[in-house]
Amino acid sequence: MTIETGGSRDGELSICGLSKRFGTSLVLSDISFTVIPGEILGLIGPNGAGKTTLLESITGLCPVASGTVCRHGRELEPEERRRILWYQPDNILPFARQRVATTLSFFRHVHGAATAELDELITGLDLDAILAKPLQTLSKGYRRRVLLAIALLSRQPLLMLDEPFDGFDLRQALSVMDLLRRHVARRTMILSIHQLSEAEKICDRFLLLDQGRLLGIGTLEALARQAGLAPDATLEEVFLALT
Amino acid sequence: MPLPEGPSRARIARYLLGQELRSLLLSPALWLLLAIVSILVGYSFIQAVALYSQASRTALSFPELAAGMNPLDGILVPTFGAYYLGETLLLPFVAIRLIGLDKESGALKLLLQLPLSPLSLCAIKLAAMGLLWLLILLPAGLVLLFWHKMGGHLHLPETALLFAGHGLYSLVVVTIAMFAAAISDSLPTAAMISLAVTLGSWVLDFAVSGQGGTMALLGSFSLTSMLHRFETGLLATSHIAALLGLALFFFLLTTFWLRPGRTTLSRLGASLVLVGILASLLAGVLQTSSALDLSENRRHSLNPADSRALRHLEGTLTMTIHLDRRDSRLLDLEHGILARLRRAVPHLVVRYAATGATGLFGASEDPKYGLIEYTYEGRHDQSYSNSAEEILPIIYRLAGITVRAEPVPAYPGYPLVADAGPTGWWFYLVIPLLCLAAALHGMLLNFYQTHR
Repeated sequence: MTIETGGSRDGELSICGLSKRFGTSLVLSDISFTVIPGEILGLIGPNGAGKTTLLESITGLCPVASGTVCRHGRELEPEERRRILWYQPDNILPFARQRVATTLSFFRHVHGAATAELDELITGLDLDAILAKPLQTLSKGYRRRVLLAIALLSRQPLLMLDEPFDGFDLRQALSVMDLLRRHVARRTMILSIHQLSEAEKICDRFLLLDQGRLLGIGTLEALARQAGLAPDATLEEVFLALT
Repeated sequence: MPLPEGPSRARIARYLLGQELRSLLLSPALWLLLAIVSILVGYSFIQAVALYSQASRTALSFPELAAGMNPLDGILVPTFGAYYLGETLLLPFVAIRLIGLDKESGALKLLLQLPLSPLSLCAIKLAAMGLLWLLILLPAGLVLLFWHKMGGHLHLPETALLFAGHGLYSLVVVTIAMFAAAISDSLPTAAMISLAVTLGSWVLDFAVSGQGGTMALLGSFSLTSMLHRFETGLLATSHIAALLGLALFFFLLTTFWLRPGRTTLSRLGASLVLVGILASLLAGVLQTSSALDLSENRRHSLNPADSRALRHLEGTLTMTIHLDRRDSRLLDLEHGILARLRRAVPHLVVRYAATGATGLFGASEDPKYGLIEYTYEGRHDQSYSNSAEEILPIIYRLAGITVRAEPVPAYPGYPLVADAGPTGWWFYLVIPLLCLAAALHGMLLNFYQTHR
């Protein structure tokens, strides 16, 4: 089976031969792909596929057995990657005891974002009502929105979000997708998503991952072709055909 | 379209420092530490003043006893004993939060992506803790103020040295706690590791007291033992270097273990290299150690004429001591004239001859037991005395020199009869209530914000 590694050679970021082990088990196996500037790349796979590990490996937060992350053909050391990409992990509660407004203000300052930008995010994510509350007291949906605001305040050209739609109802998810779409005009995104219907709505291309193996990468049409399905096949059909 | 450049590292560092201070001030552990320290310090101070006053009454009746009334030993050291407890048992619980809380909440994953190195990140956290340590010193500041208001005497250099000693000790404890948090998955584990080191050091100091050989050497490097040396007014570069070296060691280890993308094996390797470098540096510093007597009563100094004469001894002075390590006479000798000779004589060799001593109630079978032999450039002498008045003339005789003591002003002593009882309100009520209010403010605010 031939896997299209996708994208142009001088893409924003190229990941080559990334492998990662936990003890004796291989959790990422020789993953290679290129991210195209301005796209939303969906990292698709079931729970335990290695999506979070892949994002943390790209960020340089966790050690890898082998592989490189390159930009314009030059290998980036983990410290250098901080200038290029921002990774927003799933299920975190930064500074949980302090007011959301204080936490957002802190991240606005360290990212150098404008006050108007934060105000726009507060409105766009409907955070007004919870600004005075501590993060630890919020519902899962609100926590997600605050984390999303923190991520969108960052300046790095590549934004990686782990499960950004988890905990949102359909209407909220659509609203967040709209917000991300507006932001993608300025930056590239990699979204780790396990719900295929949501991924299909927002992503330009898809990277299918299962048990640490790269099954395919490309547009839905290209993946359907790779899976031997009709061009109008759904992402779910493609994923099932490739696994 | 490229995004605009972010703020400078200095600005990010400033915001992060503010964030760290906020996090620590929101922590009830900090206020609990301050409240407990305040109560302990207050109790120690009031008791110390009562005992000092009792002794001072006698000293005022018999002026020759006044020289023994020293505020450093009588008031400050017992009062700071309360700080020792707080720094050893409670400070680790506050300090582990610097790293542990961010690690547990996931905030560390975000902070490590900021354009700051783990070294800068840890330095900012340490700086925040340092600023809040000044808050913890509030009861100590009140002690100095009240003592001064009562008419008590303070000698600034030895008082400053005492503060510096506790500052360095706290620095080591904080860096140990940071390292423990960096290598642990949870706050309770980090707390256990920190306490194991600080309490272990305490136990080690207790266990080796009165023992000799390797155990004594090991004990002299315990944190407790190093802190105690600052309580005597002796500013020794070896003590400062040892505490600073330990703090630097644990601080750098923390940064190694927080550096993202490194395997455990590479972190262990870097840690081992660090151990090697630090051990070499410390060995070098200890070889060239020097000391300055900052005590007002010059307890660590010889007469200036003696110091000058001893510094000019060119040959090697060898002292062979026939005393058991646990013998109180040896302890008196070590802490008295021998400690001063080690600092003054350029080439001094001290040998501890094996003895047949059987302890406190057993008589030694060695006929030389208790003897101290002196050899200088082939000349030999011996004595059973452990007092400076007898030992120095022996050394001068062997060296063939005559030394006439210089007149130095005698330490007058500072007897004072006072009652510190009324200050108890501040230590037992005002500060603890303020701490309680600060801790409750955070909790109530949280409750109100959650339920409104």
